[in-house]
Amino acid sequence: MSRIVSIHSFRGGTGKSNTTANIATQLALAGKRVGVIDTDIQSPGIHVLFGLKGADIKHSLNDFLWGKGEIGAAVHDVTDHLNRAMPGKVFLIPSSAQADEIVNVLREGYDVSLLTTGFRKLVGELSLDVLLIDTHPGLNEETLFSIAISHALVIVMRPDHQDYEGTGVTVEVARSLEIPNMSLVVNKTPPVLDPEEVRQRVQQTYSVTDVTVLPHCDEMMNLASGGVFSTAYPDHALTRLYQALAAKLAA
Amino acid sequence: MESKTATILVVDDHATNRLKMSMAVKRLGYETCQAENGLVALECLRRDPIDLMLLDIVMPEMDGYEVLAAIKEDAGLRDIPIIVISALDELDSVVKAIELGAEDYLPKAFDPVLLNARVGACLEKKQLRDLEVEYLRQVELLTDAAGIIEDENFDPEALRLESVIARDDALGRLARVLTDMAREVHAREQSLKRQVQSLKIEIDKTRQKEQVSSITDTDYFKDLRGRAGDLRTMLQDKKDEKG
Repeated sequence: MSRIVSIHSFRGGTGKSNTTANIATQLALAGKRVGVIDTDIQSPGIHVLFGLKGADIKHSLNDFLWGKGEIGAAVHDVTDHLNRAMPGKVFLIPSSAQADEIVNVLREGYDVSLLTTGFRKLVGELSLDVLLIDTHPGLNEETLFSIAISHALVIVMRPDHQDYEGTGVTVEVARSLEIPNMSLVVNKTPPVLDPEEVRQRVQQTYSVTDVTVLPHCDEMMNLASGGVFSTAYPDHALTRLYQALAAKLAA
Repeated sequence: MESKTATILVVDDHATNRLKMSMAVKRLGYETCQAENGLVALECLRRDPIDLMLLDIVMPEMDGYEVLAAIKEDAGLRDIPIIVISALDELDSVVKAIELGAEDYLPKAFDPVLLNARVGACLEKKQLRDLEVEYLRQVELLTDAAGIIEDENFDPEALRLESVIARDDALGRLARVLTDMAREVHAREQSLKRQVQSLKIEIDKTRQKEQVSSITDTDYFKDLRGRAGDLRTMLQDKKDEKG
């Protein structure tokens, strides 16, 4: 059985893609075959964390959604880019970083139902244990679809007023879709805040029991998307938190 | 010339000598107090803020050497300058007193000009030493404050740098910059704390409900909700089909 996990945030800039990349890495380190699909077509970026440049992406999710190719052609095995021996695999299906292709999708949209076909093929052809969907922020039709088909939803938020209400909306919409497992990740939490206090407040506010609080981390800022944190800092406390989060999602 | 606000303790067991010396000191513009022996002198030093002591050596009860030794042992007193009073033929005694920590000496038959010069020089040295001690104390306050910040406490009051900030030199500037930076970080931390404390009440439930309804009441969403379970099952089983 494979699991589809959407990583979502209501607002941009929460660290959603970084969280996705680190969960994927931790799952692969635990021996899982992991697919990561970047459905944030309007502002793709996760490929950078896996060491791919825009020009390296010859085939992308955009090609598949526009009927220009099979989804399999867009698969990039990025396991070796993680610079660490691991028993599992990480396959990335990036969105195009070409400005004209992004504009075309924004202008004309795409058939959302194609995503089902694409996801099915990926899971089957790559024998995936987990498919992580890096969603587009907000709650447009494409994102709702990704959330709806997921066995687990991870909502990434920051301890910031701009995130509180939008996260609440996302939680309620996901409940309405009866997503089997829902987790909240409070990311970039300043060191002044007591993580346990934040966790309890978020649990109470959103009535979600599974809450992970990730601290703000200077090393992450210094890395500046120049790689996946978990592999750059394997012994860091933040890496251990990603490891625990990944283990919960795989369970 | 030293400020005339200094207080000088005159210690001599002979009342006449004591009075004579006190008068001479007063004429120079200083405050004076007197002690008739070493024990009383130590009491005065521990009780009153004394800036300098004129000390006779030969006294009953506790002589000048014993007073010097006691002062050397006392961290609170050892920086008070002492001028010993001795007869001109007591050079050995003077040497011994200086070895025990006396700053200078005066002959019993002193000249007022010499008295003024030696007292003035001693007080000036004491003032410089006091300034140095205070400077070092304030450097210590600053390094303590750096340690507090290193422990991620940015509360400006916890830094206790008020006295250093008041300085108009580079040390004062460093303290002001450090305090200002800590104050800014502290303010930001407090603001974030308030945000989290108000997390629950900051969500407008009515508006949130309206936003949720604007999504869940659409035909697209209703259709999606109807199919979601089947889609999940289909995707979950796909890997097994392959296997």
